[in-house]
Parts: sequence; C-alpha cells; structure tokens
Amino acid sequence: MSDGHFAEHEATWRLVKENAGGWDIAGEIPRTVLSGLGAAGVLCAEVRKEHGGLGLGSQESGKLTAHVGSLCSSLRSVMTSQGMAAWTVQRLGTREQRAAFLPQLTGGRLAAVAFSEPDAGSDLGAMTTQLRLDGDTVIVDGSKTWITAAAYADLIVVIGTAGDTAAAVVVPTDAQGVRIEKVPHPMGCRAAGHARVQLEGVRLPAANVLGGTGLSLPFLVTTALAYGRMSVAWGCVGILRGCLGAVTEHARSRRQFGKPIAEHQLVARRIAELYAAERTATAVCQQASECWESGSPDQVIATVLAKHVGATEAVRGAASALQIMASAGASDGHVVARAYRDAKLMEIIEGSSEICQLELARHALATGHGTARQEEAQ
Amino acid sequence: MTPEQQTEKAPFDTDAVVDEITRFVAEQTRTTPDVDQDLFTTGIANSMFAMQLVVFLEQAYRVTVAGPDLQLSNFRTIKSMAALVGRLQAESAADSDV
Repeated sequence: MSDGHFAEHEATWRLVKENAGGWDIAGEIPRTVLSGLGAAGVLCAEVRKEHGGLGLGSQESGKLTAHVGSLCSSLRSVMTSQGMAAWTVQRLGTREQRAAFLPQLTGGRLAAVAFSEPDAGSDLGAMTTQLRLDGDTVIVDGSKTWITAAAYADLIVVIGTAGDTAAAVVVPTDAQGVRIEKVPHPMGCRAAGHARVQLEGVRLPAANVLGGTGLSLPFLVTTALAYGRMSVAWGCVGILRGCLGAVTEHARSRRQFGKPIAEHQLVARRIAELYAAERTATAVCQQASECWESGSPDQVIATVLAKHVGATEAVRGAASALQIMASAGASDGHVVARAYRDAKLMEIIEGSSEICQLELARHALATGHGTARQEEAQ
Repeated sequence: MTPEQQTEKAPFDTDAVVDEITRFVAEQTRTTPDVDQDLFTTGIANSMFAMQLVVFLEQAYRVTVAGPDLQLSNFRTIKSMAALVGRLQAESAADSDV
C-alpha cells in the first residue's frame, strides 16, 4: 500500500482521531463517515478491484486495520464486520453472488455477520436460527445477539441451520420481519453498533443463500471467522500502538518527584513491556498475514495464534498504559480509557481466548511441533 | 511438494495426489489414515483441520475450493479429497472461474 491509503484518506483519519472519543461517549459513529469509508473501499480493503475493492493483500490490509485500530476500535470493529461479510461472500458465494453483493460492500452499503445467539456463543453448534427453502425463496427465523455493526448494517450475512446442514444467507435489513435492537450500553467498542437481530419469517430469494445449503456448520463458521480473527488481531496491534503513543508522550512530559515520570524505573518498566507487547503482537500478525499471502495451510493456526496473542497482549498492555496515564487517561473517551475497555472485548469476540487456546493446544498435540511445517528442515 | 509439480497439462494422477494428501495429514496429525478412513468420525480432523486441508489443496493443486464445494463430505476421506481435486482441475481447465 506504501502510504497511499493513509495519505489518500488523511483528512478522514484526522477526523477519526479527533472524534473517536466523542463517538465512544455518544455510542455512535456518524453514518456519513461509515458510508464514505465504505464507498472508498476502505472498510473491506481485501475485496478485489474487479468488485470495486482496493485489492489489498493481508499485510497491507493489516497495516490499515492497525492504523484504524490505533485511532478508534469502534470503527475498526465495523471494518472487521464489513471485511468478514465480504470474505464470506467471496469464499462461499457463487460467481453471480460475488458480482451481486461485493460491489455493494465497496459502494457504501454496510454489512455485518451474525453468528452468536442467546444460547449459542462459544457453542455455535447450539445455533437455532433456521433457513427453510420454499421453491425459489428461503424463509429465515431466529434470534442473533451482540452482532457487531448490525445497528448500521444494510445487509447482514446470517449463519443458520438448514435441515441437517448449515448455510449463510444475505439478509437486507429492510426486509419484512427483520428487527434490529441496539445493545444499549456495551462496555467496549461502544460505537461499533452492536445489536440484537430478530428474524421472523423473513422471506428472501433463494439466490441470497451463499453457495446454497449443504455446508457443515463448524466448517462454515471456521471459514467465515478466519478473516474476522485476522482483523481483530491487527486491531489489537492498533490498540497497543494507540496506547504506546499516548503513554510515551505523557511519560516524557508529566513530572512527579522532580522529574519526568518516564525516569522512574517502575514506570519505565511498564513502557518497556508495552513496547514489547506491541512488537510481539505485530510479529505474530505479520507471520499470519504472510501465510495468508503465500496460501500456506499454516494460516489457519497462525490466525488463531495472532488473534489470541494480540488480544492477550492488548488487554495487558492497555491495563499497563492506564496505570501510567492514571487520572490523565481515566475519563471515558480518552484513547487509553477506550483501549482498556475495548481490549477486553477482543478476548471475548471472534472465538474467546479459551476457544483459541483449545484450538492451539489441539494443534500442538496433533503435530508435536509448532506452527511451521518445517519443510525447509526436511 | 510444490505447485510447480502439478501443471494443468499433466494428466491427473490420482495415486500421486492420494499419496501427497496422506503425507500432509500424517505430517499434521502424526497419524497415517487409510484412504477410505473417515477423518472426522475417527477423531483425526475437526473443522480447523478441515480448513487447513482446504488451504493445502488450494495451494498444492492451484484450485479454488469455494461455495458449495466447502462441504465436509468432500474432506471426509483422503480419497474424497483427491476426487475433489480431480474434479476442480477438470472444471478449471474448462472454465477459469476464480
């Protein structure tokens, strides 16, 4: 990307930086900002140019995600949702469906992906949302909860069961029978538009079912989540960078006991740890993105690792950053106060830390070695 | 194995593909399954590993496994994966939809 996408949207990034605190407090990002970035292709930057996207590779897309994440995790969460919706269409949809839906996602319409249900969080196999085919239409019934960006979305990719199998269907939010209720006061990513989505007898063209029915639910979920995990991981890098920026500035200028607080060793140690956290998260994300770009099968585990390490480091780093900022960072809206709250949600969404750990453990036990296939060594 | 070893012009060698997939499964799971063994019911594979298999097949054989082909039944056995690769290569020779 060089600095193209940063420079091109510099005015927007400045606006985001100046307003992120206000959006956090208001619990809302102005729609014009979101649709403007959407129409510029920035919200799902990996969509190919033939569909109006920027066609970025995983590394460049990651840099962009981290940049936005350093300014505003709510906006970055909207990007994650939009990108995951686009990825699901790309991965599951037919050529006709890609041509029908992707240009909408790069043309200013906003999207979300709905997995979680009141009784199906980590245990997505307990999902009860149903798709029933009826001639050339499909009827969708169910209840989805805590769907990021759903309050803004024009389209929601709803994951549900279809008989013994599973499917993903693109649901326009203005379709009859769709009800969206915003989660009143999320503790983090407060302006990311989390909402409950009720679907009652929603009848849509069968052509909205991505790739048709007959998929396995765990397989479908794993596929769709892969992009979201990568995006969250890079978003966590952003959270750490936002903290590092605020903390280093503060620690150099704030004086206590006759010197800048950075010169107090207990403060300096926290800064070193925060820096190490940012570098660690960046390294695992880069490694995973490299796997995506080379098409290596290692990308599957590398993505889980990046998400898990990113979220863990972000939580620890943000807590440390707030300790350094103390009262200067302890008001809602402040970049570090937001980081502290937003980071915690990153350990919960797109596969909790515990789910990620189970997957990492399973992989380590199965292979008996790390993530690398070690072809070079053979 | 590298993608260069598989060219679109080469006749599809099912045995070789079966061997290569078997090697990948063995390397990733320290288990060498029979070609007809159900990898999921016998506990060798789960959905994460299925995703690895998808990416492996895509990289090794330059195919795209998308949409309706992402059915678990295609990944249930080494034989079914080899059949999927054979079909996708034949289809992409006829129509390069990526």
